[in-house]
Amino acid sequence: MEVKASPGIKYEGLGAGVVLYDTHPSLHSPMKTPPDPLDPLLDRWSETPEPSPRLAANIWQQIATHEQAGPISWRQSIEAWFGRPMFAVGFITACALLGLFVAELRVSQLQRERNAQLARSYLLLIDPLFNAPPTDRRS
Amino acid sequence: MKRTFLTLVLGLAAGVGAHLAYYRQHAPAATDTLEGQLVWMKSELHLTEPQFARIKELHQASHPRLQAMATQVAVMQSEFAEFEKNRRTSDRVDFLEFARFVESRRDLNQACLDSTKQLVLASAEVMNPEQRARYLQLVASAEPLVGALLN
Repeated sequence: MEVKASPGIKYEGLGAGVVLYDTHPSLHSPMKTPPDPLDPLLDRWSETPEPSPRLAANIWQQIATHEQAGPISWRQSIEAWFGRPMFAVGFITACALLGLFVAELRVSQLQRERNAQLARSYLLLIDPLFNAPPTDRRS
Repeated sequence: MKRTFLTLVLGLAAGVGAHLAYYRQHAPAATDTLEGQLVWMKSELHLTEPQFARIKELHQASHPRLQAMATQVAVMQSEFAEFEKNRRTSDRVDFLEFARFVESRRDLNQACLDSTKQLVLASAEVMNPEQRARYLQLVASAEPLVGALLN
């Protein structure tokens, strides 16, 4: 875009960086903006340090090490899982629940056996012929 | 590694501990006494306290008689075994003695059935229909009782 200069006014720069002078730049100072915190960082960044002479060798060494390690073994995988606190707590809880479940199965089984035994004892108690051979019972 | 091992040990301890605690608390106690069997019957048939007291009374009253009969049955069984042994070895049969034996065994069996039937019916009378059905189902496994109860 072409800007027409009015008499006595000069334009410097482009777009937002335009500084206006009504007569001459030497008579007026430019508008001051607050200091940007990025500036010192950018200044420091511009001073790029020289890379280490062993950089390439180190990179190749790391690549070689990773290739030698290969895929993670099952043991490492298990250790990684057990290393997580949530998994460890869940594992212990699951073990306790499994213990309770097995105990409940055993108690149920024992209860059934005991019931059968008690029923038999009761019948023996009330029926003197309960243990007699069938031929004796019918005579 | 150490952490994994510790977690495994803790898991094992938690499982075994929970198992033993639950099992000890809920495992039924063994009992062979009349009292123990009646307590089992109470829980099995969901008897109320008055029902339980009446049934206990009935059983305690008939217990000595039934026990004496059971002893008589056992004696008679051994006598019959002896009789059979003599018959096989000597090849002789004392028909009069055998007839007496059969007669007395029949009387005893009938007395046993009557006593048992009386006790079962008296106990069943104390119970509500649901309890009675369950109780009769339980005693029905005693073969001669089935016929006696149905007659």
